Amino acid sequence: MPETEVSRSDRVNIDESVMQTYKLLTESTSIEESPFGTYKDVFMFAASMGYAGGVRKKLPSGKKHTIRREVFSENDFLVLKTIAIAETGDVQVLLRLDEILTIAEEYAHAGIHALKARLLDQHGRPLWNLVEMVSS
Amino acid sequence: MKIERIQMENFRQYFGRQRMTFSRDRARNVTVIHGINGAGKSSLFLAINWCLYGEVSSNVGELISKEAVSRASDGEEIRASVELVFTHNSERYLVLRRLKGVKQEDGAIESGDEDFTMMRTRRDGQAERIANPIGVMNSILSSNVRTYFLFDGEKIDNFAKPEASDEVRYAIYNVLKLEVMTRARNHLQDIAAEYRRELKRVSTGELRQFVESEERAIAEKEKAHTRKEELEREIESARRKITDIDRRLREMPNASALQQRRDRLERDLEQREDEMTALISNIRTLATSGFTVIAQGAVERALAILDEKRERGEIPSSIRQQFVQDLIERLQCICGRRFDANGAEHEKLLALMNSSLPGSLEDDVMDTAAALRPFAERAGRLRDELNQRMQRRAELLDIMKSLEEEIDEVRDQLKGSPQEEISRLEEQRENFRADIESYRLEQGNCDTRIDLMSAELEELKKQIQVAKKEKKTERELTRKASLAQRAADAIGEVYETFADDMRRRIEAKTKEIFKLLVWKDSHFQDVRLGSDYNLEVIDRYGLPARPELSAGERQVLSLSFITAMSRVSEEEAPLVMDTPFGRLSSQHRNNITEHLPELADQLVLFVTDEELRDKARKNLEPRIGAEYRLTFDRKTSCTTIEEV
Repeated sequence: MPETEVSRSDRVNIDESVMQTYKLLTESTSIEESPFGTYKDVFMFAASMGYAGGVRKKLPSGKKHTIRREVFSENDFLVLKTIAIAETGDVQVLLRLDEILTIAEEYAHAGIHALKARLLDQHGRPLWNLVEMVSS
Repeated sequence: MKIERIQMENFRQYFGRQRMTFSRDRARNVTVIHGINGAGKSSLFLAINWCLYGEVSSNVGELISKEAVSRASDGEEIRASVELVFTHNSERYLVLRRLKGVKQEDGAIESGDEDFTMMRTRRDGQAERIANPIGVMNSILSSNVRTYFLFDGEKIDNFAKPEASDEVRYAIYNVLKLEVMTRARNHLQDIAAEYRRELKRVSTGELRQFVESEERAIAEKEKAHTRKEELEREIESARRKITDIDRRLREMPNASALQQRRDRLERDLEQREDEMTALISNIRTLATSGFTVIAQGAVERALAILDEKRERGEIPSSIRQQFVQDLIERLQCICGRRFDANGAEHEKLLALMNSSLPGSLEDDVMDTAAALRPFAERAGRLRDELNQRMQRRAELLDIMKSLEEEIDEVRDQLKGSPQEEISRLEEQRENFRADIESYRLEQGNCDTRIDLMSAELEELKKQIQVAKKEKKTERELTRKASLAQRAADAIGEVYETFADDMRRRIEAKTKEIFKLLVWKDSHFQDVRLGSDYNLEVIDRYGLPARPELSAGERQVLSLSFITAMSRVSEEEAPLVMDTPFGRLSSQHRNNITEHLPELADQLVLFVTDEELRDKARKNLEPRIGAEYRLTFDRKTSCTTIEEV
């Protein structure tokens, strides 16, 4: 498998071009405007939405923001592994941390736009849009 | 959208600071503003338009009060501003537009920057800045539909003229947001063009003057910070004054009970607000863990894959990989028999080895499967919990609303007190509160500037760093351009069908309203809005009756169309009408005044006295919630607003 040969760090990458959305969703002092506590929380949604929407996008080369692997909880990581199994149809992917992270990054890179559209580009405030999305 | 109040400062003939509150009551949804010609109705109408949308037609003259200009000294800066407070979808908004000008030596005004701020006010009174005010304003009441909701009585028959089909089509497209689709199509076309341009572009590297820009930005940011602190002190002082007034009211025999009731209500409200804050934080925690719900599809698919492995007997495998590997290394069976490195036994073992999973993986697979099974149930629980919390939030909002209403009631009672000192104190109190709101708004403005400067500084840094890198391949851009073009074409096709459906719905509604507004025994049979977008009235012979329509009938037809659109669009929007009845016969006036209040959520009428008298006046009377008179003083050329 080429993925296992190419060594990459076990940090998770977010492309600079979408960081604005990560910032908007975390940085305001109002919870209703910025419902997320950390970039990692946003990333988990972006990756899940990317997979749900079936769009995976390679990260362009260039500047990246990174999240350390330790920031992800066991449950977070379980979801990332699940996406990797669902994507490849192969349980052996569990042996390849690199590939798990790459798949997550690429889905998140596509999913962040869907997340932005659902949370920020609507009239309502992001938190309520999020509740609506999760509970419907 | 319902307008709550307007505050003008040095806007045209409204010198100084003047406020007006509009009625938002459901039963009394009409606000009437009287004024003779030239009293300032149109200026007030213009103030609303300018505040919300900025652009005004060219012939409106200077916006800054001439009186303010004449009192200023040369070189002095003068400001004109309009502040509007309105509610929309149970949110409260504050919009402020400000124009600065500097008086020149020859007395003329050199107008400077215009700025536009929009705030959403939270329940605690704190104003929260909206980052993209123009976008949000447009999503509330789009600028290209405002003329149908804020409309000039003189143009009332525009839609019923024989040559008006373009106007009618345009209005339908805009009000019913069909325009969104046109915009999507144009947008995609623009994107395609943009890609094509980019193909040609050659990067230019002007890596200078950034330092200078940076310095300027830093200074500006500092200035905004200082002003913000200054405002905080103003707010503090206004708050102290309110506390002081409260204390005095408490000591006055005729106000004491009411003030104490207000104290209790405000304390109660504060507690509810605290509860709300805690609840929102709780909802947030739940909602942000909701990605597991979104990932449910992945969970199901992964479980299916894992289960299939189990059914096929691959996991748990009967033979551990390590065991097979040991046999291969020793070239010896467990029975002791040796085998050849190229023999059939060896080959068989290698195949077994390749098809089985390593032990660590097997454990991982089993653990993962076990952990994933409860996911679906957990997602259901999460939804239930969220729904519960959201329900409590709705309850709390109701409670808080009724507390606020009670507080308003106390205020009204104090304000209406026959004891002059009490009513005066309460009025002062209200003014301090409004001041605080204005200060908050300006603070928000400062925040905008600070953010803007911070973003600019960040951008400058990047520009310096990046400068000249990365080029996209020509092929990729070409592909994107063609994709965008194809998508644009597809949207164009969908659009036509949708537009037709909307036209039919408006036709039906216009007919219904027109019937209501024209007198009962009219000889008209039908209203038709054909695919050519001509608005036709059909007479009892089934023929278009427009040539015989009187000017008044045409206006009523037009008005029916406008109200039909606002009903079909399902927007909660005010109807603000500048001299709407001037050109109508008394019979039409009577019909319209009888029905118009129920056709709009909020109705604001600018009228002359001749326009609204006798039966028309009587019809409206029970629906009037607020009434004002504009008086123009010839000596000072200024208008004052008086409550009637």
